[in-house]
Amino acid sequence: MNDSVKTAKDIVTSYSGRKLRIMEVCGTHTHEIFRLGIRKLLPENVELISGPGCPVCVTPVGFIDEACWLALEKNCVICTFGDLIRVPGTEMSLAGARSEGAQIKPVYSPLDAVDYARENPDKQVVFLAVGFETTTPSACLAAETAKKEGLENFSLLTANKTMPNAYAALEGSADAFLYPGHVNAITGTQICEELKEKGVSGVVAGFTAGELLTALAVILKLSESGEPFFKNCYPRVVKAEGNPAAQKLIEKVMQPCDSEWRGLGVIPMSGMELREGYAAFDARKKYDMPVIKGKPNPACRCGDVLQGKCKPSDCKVFGKVCTPEHPVGACMVSGEGACSAYYQYN
Amino acid sequence: MCVGLSARVVSVKDGTALIDASGAKREVSADLLEELEPGDYVMVHAGVAIAKITQSDEEEYDDVMESVI
Amino acid sequence: MSSNKTVTLAHGAGGKQTSELIAKVFKAHFSNPEFTADDAAVLNIGEGRLAFTTDGFIVSPFEFNGGNIGKLSICGTVNDLSCMGAKPLYMTCAFVIEEGFPLDKLEEIAAAMEKTAAEAGVKIVAGDTKVAGKGQVDKVFITTTGIGRIMDNAHTSGTFAKPGDAIIVTGDVGRHGCTILLARDEFGIEADVDSDCAPLWGTVESIYEVTGDIHVIRDATRGGVGTVLYEIAEQSDVGIALNAEKIPVDERVKGVCGMLGLEPLYLACEGRLVIFAPEEHAEKIVEQLHKGKYSKNAAIIGRVTEENKGKVVMETEIGSQTLLPQPGGELLPRIC
Repeated sequence: MNDSVKTAKDIVTSYSGRKLRIMEVCGTHTHEIFRLGIRKLLPENVELISGPGCPVCVTPVGFIDEACWLALEKNCVICTFGDLIRVPGTEMSLAGARSEGAQIKPVYSPLDAVDYARENPDKQVVFLAVGFETTTPSACLAAETAKKEGLENFSLLTANKTMPNAYAALEGSADAFLYPGHVNAITGTQICEELKEKGVSGVVAGFTAGELLTALAVILKLSESGEPFFKNCYPRVVKAEGNPAAQKLIEKVMQPCDSEWRGLGVIPMSGMELREGYAAFDARKKYDMPVIKGKPNPACRCGDVLQGKCKPSDCKVFGKVCTPEHPVGACMVSGEGACSAYYQYN
Repeated sequence: MCVGLSARVVSVKDGTALIDASGAKREVSADLLEELEPGDYVMVHAGVAIAKITQSDEEEYDDVMESVI
Repeated sequence: MSSNKTVTLAHGAGGKQTSELIAKVFKAHFSNPEFTADDAAVLNIGEGRLAFTTDGFIVSPFEFNGGNIGKLSICGTVNDLSCMGAKPLYMTCAFVIEEGFPLDKLEEIAAAMEKTAAEAGVKIVAGDTKVAGKGQVDKVFITTTGIGRIMDNAHTSGTFAKPGDAIIVTGDVGRHGCTILLARDEFGIEADVDSDCAPLWGTVESIYEVTGDIHVIRDATRGGVGTVLYEIAEQSDVGIALNAEKIPVDERVKGVCGMLGLEPLYLACEGRLVIFAPEEHAEKIVEQLHKGKYSKNAAIIGRVTEENKGKVVMETEIGSQTLLPQPGGELLPRIC
């Protein structure tokens, strides 16, 4: 371990100041924090809360239902990140649809879904576009490529989301935020500066053990003054201006829309949809999809978990009916979901 | 929310970069980064290079910690 | 045999063509005095405890870097016997072949079986061939059954792990799983990785030259080393403390896992043993393993504990402790 990381670890383990609640809003942070056993290093007066930063976890039940409809009713090949395959819909997950004969293909990149469509002109291919600012550019590149090539058998089912309005919804949930480094790599850090002006503190954090420990140490140090603060603790990847080319591309291909978050409800202008010029690649329009409203399991408290209002273990179905093998809520599905991580590592 | 992979750029051609992460190679989109050159390190997410990595992790730890102590 | 010939339903009908197929492909490769033309092989096994096991093999693709389904089908059964401290003696194999499967590929599979069986010192004494219609099986499935004699000083079982045991893995983990993942070419990733698939009787025999005091030997197959550790923790009702930094993982496997968000401990191996033995023998066992062909990077990766029964606790790179996640179902690459 490098000396600076040792210093950071000492600061974190020996903290004795006022009680602090720190929220990590990125699911990969949640995952790494568990994997590295960081919570076990923290003193009692520092609490780490897992926020709504896992795109799988915040994807509403209805989105899975829409995907199943495309797969089973319209015989589309569904290309998706592997994480979504086991997320429960109202009736079934995509894995369930697969056992009924649907073609579900895990992909590494939306661009691989475009390649697959190009190589299989006899098949209708739909990519499930979920994710935050980090992932949205890849979906936009896919739409842009398909449009340029005039691919007629490729479309996107979008549920992309953006963080800024979610922060507003989360205001007061924590004393400081660990901002999601890879989102800021795209958006830059201006939004964090603005949040600081509004009294919201936080640091941009990377994902290695060293980066997480230094980011936590910085939060503990900067909290001493009692003033709102912001610091970029991931400068080797995150620049103040972010990635301008990615921002431009998103702006060109997509526009903000209202969006439903599992457990949080509809947050105005917190989602992204394809612009009119890309309507031919919008699966909802292309297949004239009816409005499909999902019905989540009423006992599931994923929403409260995502807002840091309760711990996974406070939910009645947690660990009993809802397990990683048989998830009820989305937080149990993805390895980075708060419930799954809690179940696996506690 | 986003598994990122730090990888070295092996070659760049027509908006596509061949990247290498400890011997695992893949082509990814280089459309979102300007002036990418072989030898650069990039952060890759979902098949797209989203950021150049401008410093080693060790240097970053030192800089960040120095600024608050 | 010319390369455009394929297996037909007639090859499985039991008539002349079946006999031809058996003569040309199987007898040619499996010939030994005990290989039977009768309904069953007659064996003279002698005294002592016997180990007896069977295993079915389906793998897509059926050939991959470092082996094919034939080699795999011998290794799997040889290794299961070896884990019981049993010297593999005889095997049988049953093929289910899809109509249209190329004969030259079938011959390659038989040749790999011959070579691997010879290396393990096991004789193939009986077999069966069925041909299924196009689409009814995926190319070729093989089931092998094996019998072996347990060495007098060998007493291993998944229930024998005891606090104080050292845990040894005989080589880097996850290479077979990674190889198959890459061979399927679903994620556009290339890496120079080959399967760890190997017959391990020689490896087991060599450890017993050091000591007979071995509590558990398991071969880490489908679920990888992680699954084996959880199985033993449960069966022996003990805890396992794992040192994350000591687990040997090939750099390229790490790279592939990094790209797809997978845990190498849960990728399949087909030539790796997990050994539990009292701490005092551990260094000597590892020293011996380092001399072996298939165990050059063997390492002590952890120890058995009284506390944390049924759990696998990992010591992390930053000196904290965390649970190894429980084995899950289907391995899905994650992006988030």
